[in-house]
Amino acid sequence: MENNIEQAPGKNRQTGPVITAVIITVILIFFTIMSLMAPGKKLKEIRLKFGPEETSENQPDERLYSDSAYMALLKERSFFQARTSMAETDSVYMTLNLSDSTANLEISGVTVHSVKISSFRFSGILKRTDDYAISSMLAQPMNITGDLATIKKEPLMVKMAPKDTSEFKPDVIPDTSNYEPVNYILEMDNGIRIYVYQTTDTLKSNNRRRFYFDLRDRLSTAWQYAKSAAMFKVPEYHPFIKIRLPKADAKIIYRALPRKGQVAVYM
Amino acid sequence: MDDNSSYMEEGLPEGNRGGAVPEGLRSLFDKLFASPKVRKVIIRTSVITGGLLAFLLLAAFVLYIVPGMQEVVSAHRPKLLSDPELKEDKNYKKQISALSGEVQRLSRKYASYTSGQSYIVINTTDNKFFLYRNKKLIRTGLCSSGSYTMLKTEGERKWIFKTPKGKYRIQGKITSPVWRKPDWAFVEEGLPIPSATHPSRYEYGVLGDYALSIGDGYLIHGTLYKRFLGMPVTHGCIRLNDEDLEAIYNTLAVGSKVYIF
Repeated sequence: MENNIEQAPGKNRQTGPVITAVIITVILIFFTIMSLMAPGKKLKEIRLKFGPEETSENQPDERLYSDSAYMALLKERSFFQARTSMAETDSVYMTLNLSDSTANLEISGVTVHSVKISSFRFSGILKRTDDYAISSMLAQPMNITGDLATIKKEPLMVKMAPKDTSEFKPDVIPDTSNYEPVNYILEMDNGIRIYVYQTTDTLKSNNRRRFYFDLRDRLSTAWQYAKSAAMFKVPEYHPFIKIRLPKADAKIIYRALPRKGQVAVYM
Repeated sequence: MDDNSSYMEEGLPEGNRGGAVPEGLRSLFDKLFASPKVRKVIIRTSVITGGLLAFLLLAAFVLYIVPGMQEVVSAHRPKLLSDPELKEDKNYKKQISALSGEVQRLSRKYASYTSGQSYIVINTTDNKFFLYRNKKLIRTGLCSSGSYTMLKTEGERKWIFKTPKGKYRIQGKITSPVWRKPDWAFVEEGLPIPSATHPSRYEYGVLGDYALSIGDGYLIHGTLYKRFLGMPVTHGCIRLNDEDLEAIYNTLAVGSKVYIF
């Protein structure tokens, strides 16, 4: 009895961390399972919305969707459809052609700026979803719904008007030095996120800032996932396209695109 | 002291017991662990370090490994094939022909957007212009565009000096233009705003020899401040040097397109 009384605090000390570890592991497993279910849910949504329609009157020939010539034409048509739709407006829009690694800024069908994409990668979900659904999804221009960037879209400087001529100071020469790192994320209305990173910088501090920018996005996504998982909901998965561009071109594109701009992708 | 020695030996691997740890180091450990304070600090440091490592591992798992796993776990994509039997199918041929026709039609339509007429492209981030004729670049150079300055008065008024972006057309061409100073030009210098027709509103020779209007009061014109070309310093207009302005004036007609991005 005496022994039991003496051992009790030690036992508690040992079981406390074990229980905590078990709880953390269970939460982690649950979080992981919910996270892994997210792409599947998105895939289902894409297929349901953009997959071939099967009705009693319309029975598509399944073989067509696995035919390379047919799918190549379908992808080309989708890209032209999206670009033609955007060309009807007078705004600046972006086209990403991942097959020939180019990013273009266009206005009313005229290419005003073209840049070679240094490297790119995209979500497994976009790689693995059947081509028909992806082509159908990309036949409509994607609308930018939000963005997160390391540079300002409009670098506004506020200047108070002088009360009289004695207060007047002539404008100073603007600082056009290009020291800010250029990384941004464009969020699209169909859930796709386009990540634009500047190509590797010689400045170590810029690479560090890119790491923190990426970390911030990962933290925000993990937080969203955790919130959904806590409510026993499968989180919203955002397929991504990550591209690397020369810094100057990445900046031009970001500044040129309107806040609610449009993007077309060919992959 | 003896107690401490046995404590040390218990923590050592089998092979290290009895002399594998140098004598000096052992006595140092013995001395360190002899003090309960130091022992406490060492244990606490180990717990904190361990906790920190566990947290970092957990963060790496949540932030990097789980997203990585998401990319691996996805649906299977059907392989694209080239079936010779299907290629002979009448319906397939019809479908391919229709699709091919549509692609060609869209391609022609899209190509028609790029006019064979002269047009100018202005890059406001780099402050450069590109002049095209018959779809060929014939001249490029520096320009100045909006400074992105917001001028505010103590009252309610404010102006933002930026160049609009998008597609515009040349709406008018003027030689020896006279600048009719808007209200902000007076506010900016701390001067009282004169009446709309007051002579102080008119300034001669500051816009160069030519001006091309693109609407809403925005002009492509010359400048006295050529050293600022290539910089964002204007109130929204596009400034050029004299030679470029003349070339553009002579190349573009009323109705020519101006693409600003």
